[in-house]
Amino acid sequence: MEFAEHIKTANVEDVVLRQPLQPPSRGTLCITGHHLLFSDREESDSRQVLLLLRNIDAIEKSVENLTGYSGFFSNASHSERMSGSSGTITMKCKDLRVLQLDIPGMEQCLNIAHSIETLSCLDCVSAMYPFFYRPVDLSLPEQWGLSSPEMHYSQMKELYEKWRLSTVNRDYSVCPSYPPAVIVPKSIDDDTLKKAAKFRQGGRFPVLCYYHKKNGMVIMRSSQPLLGANRKRCKEDELLLQAVIEGSDKGYIIDTRSMQQAQQARMTGGGFESKSFYDRWKRFHRQMERGKALQESLIKLVEACGDESNNMDRWLSKLENSKWLSHVQNALSTAGLLVECVERDGHSVLVHGSEGTDCSLLISTLAQLIMDPCCRTMEGFLGLLEREWIQARHPFQQRCAHSAYSHARLQQESPVFLLLLDCVWQLWRQFPLALGFSEALLLRLATEVYASDYGTFLCNSDQERCALEVKERTHCLFRALLRPTERDYYSNPLYERTELAIWPSVHPQSLQLWKGYFLRWTQQVRHLEEAQEEIRNMVIEWGKLARS
Amino acid sequence: MLLYIMEFAELIKTPRVDGVVLHRPFMPTVEGTLCLTGHHLILSSRQDNTEELWLLHSNIDSIEKRFVGSLGHITVKCKDLRVIQLEITGMEECLNIASSIEALSTLDLVSLMYPFFYRPMFEVIEDGWNSFLPQNAFKDLESMTDEWRLSEVNKDFSLCPSYPPLVAVPKDFDDETLKKVATFRHGGRFPVLSYYHKKNGMVMMRAGQPLTGTNGRRCKEDEKLINATLRPGKRGYIIDTRAINVAQQAKARGGGFELEANYPQWRRIHKAIERYNVLQESLIKLVEACNDQSHSMDRWLSKLEASNWQTNVKEILTTACLAAQCIDREGASVLVHGTEGTDSTLQVTSLAQIILDPGCRTVKGFQSLVEREWLQAGHPFQQRCAQSAFSNSKPRHEAPVFLLFLDCVWQILRQFPCSFEFNESFLVLLFEHAYASQFGTFLGNSAAERARLCLPEKTVSLWSWVNRPQELERLTNPLYEPNSLVIWPSVAPQSLLLWEGVFLRWNRSSKCLDEAYEEMVHIIEYNKELQTKVNSLRRQLAQLETEDPLLHTP
Repeated sequence: MEFAEHIKTANVEDVVLRQPLQPPSRGTLCITGHHLLFSDREESDSRQVLLLLRNIDAIEKSVENLTGYSGFFSNASHSERMSGSSGTITMKCKDLRVLQLDIPGMEQCLNIAHSIETLSCLDCVSAMYPFFYRPVDLSLPEQWGLSSPEMHYSQMKELYEKWRLSTVNRDYSVCPSYPPAVIVPKSIDDDTLKKAAKFRQGGRFPVLCYYHKKNGMVIMRSSQPLLGANRKRCKEDELLLQAVIEGSDKGYIIDTRSMQQAQQARMTGGGFESKSFYDRWKRFHRQMERGKALQESLIKLVEACGDESNNMDRWLSKLENSKWLSHVQNALSTAGLLVECVERDGHSVLVHGSEGTDCSLLISTLAQLIMDPCCRTMEGFLGLLEREWIQARHPFQQRCAHSAYSHARLQQESPVFLLLLDCVWQLWRQFPLALGFSEALLLRLATEVYASDYGTFLCNSDQERCALEVKERTHCLFRALLRPTERDYYSNPLYERTELAIWPSVHPQSLQLWKGYFLRWTQQVRHLEEAQEEIRNMVIEWGKLARS
Repeated sequence: MLLYIMEFAELIKTPRVDGVVLHRPFMPTVEGTLCLTGHHLILSSRQDNTEELWLLHSNIDSIEKRFVGSLGHITVKCKDLRVIQLEITGMEECLNIASSIEALSTLDLVSLMYPFFYRPMFEVIEDGWNSFLPQNAFKDLESMTDEWRLSEVNKDFSLCPSYPPLVAVPKDFDDETLKKVATFRHGGRFPVLSYYHKKNGMVMMRAGQPLTGTNGRRCKEDEKLINATLRPGKRGYIIDTRAINVAQQAKARGGGFELEANYPQWRRIHKAIERYNVLQESLIKLVEACNDQSHSMDRWLSKLEASNWQTNVKEILTTACLAAQCIDREGASVLVHGTEGTDSTLQVTSLAQIILDPGCRTVKGFQSLVEREWLQAGHPFQQRCAQSAFSNSKPRHEAPVFLLFLDCVWQILRQFPCSFEFNESFLVLLFEHAYASQFGTFLGNSAAERARLCLPEKTVSLWSWVNRPQELERLTNPLYEPNSLVIWPSVAPQSLLLWEGVFLRWNRSSKCLDEAYEEMVHIIEYNKELQTKVNSLRRQLAQLETEDPLLHTP
């Protein structure tokens, strides 16, 4: 109902749609509360384009008052009807596609543009499409998501001896951004946790995120300690970290900020673990770009990719200027450092930056992919994303509100998750056999995170998700991806499990632009996709033959 | 022969040293005995009767030596861009080895080169020297058109020293006319047929620049000759691979371009393709950038940009697309030339054929293209490939013209992964053999020189080796599906990639990528096997159904 008031013109005939890689087509345009629907009126092979309005990042309209408009298919009967005025709407999508609509009639065009503008950036989460998406072949799930902290813990028998599942956060009162259950050292009780939480930004006290079976070392993550200018300390926090390295001589802290940034953070109440109170922890600072700077990097990169000047020097300097590949390199090498600490050096590591919801997650996820073969299967990878990004709360709603084309003022947007997918792609490219999933999965995730039929990437935290009953009222993307047909499509036909760590090369020469994503809508990438498709079909065919 | 061997012996003061340690990228360190022969540097640890290193001296681009105490380090930089290190104990041995390598790797005399000494260890199934004779190529042409004839005017290489003895020219032009035209073109390179487009009968020709000079000399026969290739009322295109100002300047030295007034039926297009030392410097800068060890992404991208290599790739591909477009889309004939017509001209004509002609995308077709458009068309391989990116000596005629061509082919192959019968390895192989080889194919600078050196009698052809089943298997693309269409590559800068297979080949471990490739090959083969099995089962079933009427009643 509420949508109706934003839709003044719901249907327009004789619209020409231009989209990349396809010839223009003429047909009918419909606007609904969540979608833009275009149906080709070719009777023989009719095509439809269904676009989530949420996917639209920016629109541009130009209206012309022409007499005798001659459109793409200029023939007399059309131009008669269209004489007078027409307009063009350019829609730039969050998946980087650019579509164009030629709409006859100035008023209709303006109405449509207005509807798209309003409906594509509605803020109210509960009005978003995932709450309305009800495919016929799928009932709402019994279980939402692949796993839960409880299930994860119960499957990890190795943990039982020294680690426990704490439900201190069951009502989200200790840390609003943590799930109700977290894994902590067995020797630390809930009261200590509560006190430690007060000493960490947003209450994000150190919790276990990865247990390395080979040597029993762990990765912990948290937010920054709240030292402030007068160097406060917290015995409970120290105790908690002490318990993590019980029985070992030392541990490492990887701070994703530069030393200088970490020091400056003290002015605003934050800080870092000082040597005097955490004498068995050795700290590394690795500056990683975050927030606005990262978003701007994406904007510059996408602009460079769309540059049509056809000049090699210009392209390479724009690519360099965007700094995106430097961020990829930085993320992979910091993750490499983390793996080195755990796998080679045999020590436990605590990772944090400021809030512990962006870069910390990025590098802990990458480190797990590099070290742990279980994370490299399709289930494993989706499970990893669920644990590290959904449950550990990356604020998707804020970070992915807009993508590279938006004209809106930047608020909390930042393509941290996209950067992760890019890094995973680099791993996949360097180790084509080691990952159980293909580039197509990464592309799908990169699209879904910005606009989706599913509820997985809605909201900013578990708490918000509960409040809106996301788990009861929407479908889960990860479960959908694991249905047999989808799984076939997204799995890597070349996959062969290796138990070894996959150490990526982080030489600048070894890293490439993720063309599959950033140049997805250009011709040449299509051919590569076709070749991959070919192999995928073969494998599927092969599987069928093997079964029959 | 004995005399030569003695000459080599003079250069080798220390023929063998024990306890030499070899370091190579991404391979374990090996200790063994180093041997120098007239043509090879060999290192063997005598573990299992195989040699760890068997390197042609002619593959060595430069060497550097330094000493730490009495331990000598020799860095050997190869023309295929590999860099290896040798550790030799004993200063005298090390100095001897180094000076021998230096002398042996820079021997100039063609007849002393290894191909003249190499005896094949394999059975030659088909002699590559006879695989691509012009008369055979002409038979294909004859089946499509009768407008061309094969002229023997150059049979003793006197008219044009860089042309083969047989060339295809318009039928109505006798040899006397050709002789006149040859005097009007640089190096005697009168316009000859390079490609006939079966689809619409349009042709591509190539030549040297016309020698108009400052006073605008003209040659009626030249005008008539190229006009003869036009259809009535149609115009043709002349693609000049030089910028207009470069072409203007060429007049001062007797060269020039076709003036509109004398060639009214032709439209001239100028495209700036770099040549000679500019290209060589571009290669040197690129290789230096690729070996940069600093971890800075910005630095890498700036150096890549500063090398201009990718720009060169783009310009060449763009010009080739233009030529192909004129022929296929505009339905016009094309004449391509630059100055001498032996470098950028060949890049353009050969790439245009890859775009237009599916036949050139097969293994044999590509070999034939290289033979026709590069070897017989007179690209001076010996001069151009004398040195590669590491050489310290002053470049003379060196230029990576052929490597750029291969890079462009790789770009197209990458954009159309199913349209080529061969894979990247084949292109890399051609690059290696153009710079250093046991085969005679890339020796000499022209067909005339090759004839004088009696290469077909005295050396083995690269094609004899390549066209054996076991080699072909390694070089064929498992994804190949013949595509009879014209393939238009994207030349947007964003679409062109650095050719890692050549330029980063020794900087990264390719183990994982190779494994993936093998796995893919395996899948595809298994798939084919299953397909055959399914088909035979279906046939059996059909047979049973017809034989046994009971099967029809359920």
